Amino acid sequence: MSTQLIHIEHIARTYEMGGETVHALRDVSLDIHPNEYVALMGPSGSGKSTLMNILGCLDTPSSGVYTFKGLDVNEMTDDDLAEIRNKEIGFVFQTFNLLPRATALKNIELPLIYSGVSSEERKERAIKALEDVGLGDRMLHRPNELSGGQRQRVAVARALVTKPSIILADEPTGNLDTKTGIEIMILFQELWSKGNTVILVTHEEDIARHARRIIRIRDGKVESDTINPNPATKFELP
Amino acid sequence: MIRIGEIQESFRIAFEGLQANKLRSFLTTLGVVIGITFVILMGWFLNGLDAALESTVNLLGTDVMYIDKWSWSGGQNWRKTMQRKNITYQQAVEFCNSMKTAEVSLPEAHKWGTTVKERGRTITGISVIGVPYSYSQLPAGTILYGRFFSQFEDEYSTNVTVLGYGVAKALFPEGDAIGRTIKIGGRTFEIIGVIIKRGTMMMDFVDNQVIIPISTFFGVYGMTGRSISVAVKAGSAEKLDEVRAESTGLMRSIRNVPPGEEEDFSINETETFKEQVETLRLATWGIGIGLTLLSFIVGIIGIMNIMFVSVTERTKEIGIRKSLGAKSSSILMQFLVESASLCLVGALIAFTFCSVVIAVAVRLVPEADFLTPYVPPQLILIAAIVSIIVGILAGIVPAMRASALDPVEALRYES
Repeated sequence: MSTQLIHIEHIARTYEMGGETVHALRDVSLDIHPNEYVALMGPSGSGKSTLMNILGCLDTPSSGVYTFKGLDVNEMTDDDLAEIRNKEIGFVFQTFNLLPRATALKNIELPLIYSGVSSEERKERAIKALEDVGLGDRMLHRPNELSGGQRQRVAVARALVTKPSIILADEPTGNLDTKTGIEIMILFQELWSKGNTVILVTHEEDIARHARRIIRIRDGKVESDTINPNPATKFELP
Repeated sequence: MIRIGEIQESFRIAFEGLQANKLRSFLTTLGVVIGITFVILMGWFLNGLDAALESTVNLLGTDVMYIDKWSWSGGQNWRKTMQRKNITYQQAVEFCNSMKTAEVSLPEAHKWGTTVKERGRTITGISVIGVPYSYSQLPAGTILYGRFFSQFEDEYSTNVTVLGYGVAKALFPEGDAIGRTIKIGGRTFEIIGVIIKRGTMMMDFVDNQVIIPISTFFGVYGMTGRSISVAVKAGSAEKLDEVRAESTGLMRSIRNVPPGEEEDFSINETETFKEQVETLRLATWGIGIGLTLLSFIVGIIGIMNIMFVSVTERTKEIGIRKSLGAKSSSILMQFLVESASLCLVGALIAFTFCSVVIAVAVRLVPEADFLTPYVPPQLILIAAIVSIIVGILAGIVPAMRASALDPVEALRYES
């Protein structure tokens, strides 16, 4: 299929640890198309984080084929990978990973700094992104002056500000209470419905059931790859 | 390609880091502070030395030479020099009358270490110089106020005197010397002028003199038993060689030095001072460079150490930046800017410290008045550049380690 965003074929990733070879990923093949809403599921140690790192171009596979928008990732230099991460991928982490000394606005401006956007445009776009996640009044707050949910919103705004092809969220609700977790899930739902591609890494069924497609990973392999027949669209406190 | 935004970001991070760790930053930069302090103080001293040398040479006149029995630089066989015959006034006059290439040439008679009296006050250690009126054409005869004596006053052995700056300042601090009288060699002289300040560190004795007409001088001190100096002003530096050659030949023939024999007189030029100062310069450089290098080595080690700490502390931050698209070169630059800024702050501290030290030193130590009371501007630039180079040297290894971090590993790091 020519419209695929991500195409991976028989990729494996091994690590050397204390003289032993660890097979984090053994044989994974999958395609991801624009405007998909995918949940990558699996217990800890299944290899889903390794897969996410490879999808996000933070890491490269030991073997197999990975093409991103038709470009061979294995052929790319470190600088090329940095550029893909900068322009094409928006990361949202479990621990938010905001810079503690920078304001919300500065945190959001960061990826734009690395893509060489002028300072006026940077500020303009960062403000817009912050307003889009409902934090227009928290621009000059530092992360420690924000609640967990607000911090994750800042992180989402930072992921979105470069208008990436894919939003990669690694356990985005893992450090949040149920209520704020739901708020973040609503945000992802909105992003998807606006046409964004969202990949969600989680081990929680409750979170995964919002996705349209669920890929289960176990022991470094794809265990199942199914369309979610009835995705949850309502958000209720249990 | 390095982008302006990234550079600004690097500076922002560097100064945030400095502010967040004020004490640590300060202690870290101490080595650099000391190193830059040496650079500035050394440069300041050498600068002053050069300026003093230049003004001394200029005041003596770069195109002026003195024909003396003695050599200024010493170094010759003392016994041999002692055996030289005095240059008599007649020889000096004959020389001056025959001299063709020089602009001015004139005899000078000196009386060293004498005393002058003014209304009961006595100053010791004064030189009395007897010269003809044409002395006013030499740089050494430049008048500050009043006038030089005239040909008439010279020929008629008038008791008039022109004071050196030091004497005038000691006796008449208000500057009202003209018209007053002073006792030289027991006789009363009218003060008609004061010479400009010529003394510098090396030559402050030149201000402690009084000038009288040479005919008067011989009347007071006698003509015999002293060696006369001949001052020769070439007119321009280009004519020096020509004038020197004529002077040598002329003096040899006047003093009957047989061909092939060594001269029994010396031609002293202002260049001699430069040679003497060069030794002092080299010593200052040697000590200064040694201390500077030593403190920079200590400084570089200190900064490198703290930069390694900084890289470790911020491993997670590096991971975050890389995940957002920072290239290795951006991270490298970030840490280089940080260590260079650290050193620049050190230079700033050193500069402030030196400014205070220099201002106080010049005020408290009168002998230091040949030095500028401020840090010479070109030294600020040199200090800034040196500190940035030191910062880059100290920061390069930690910065390379930071830029080579694996993003996945770095993101996983928990401090």
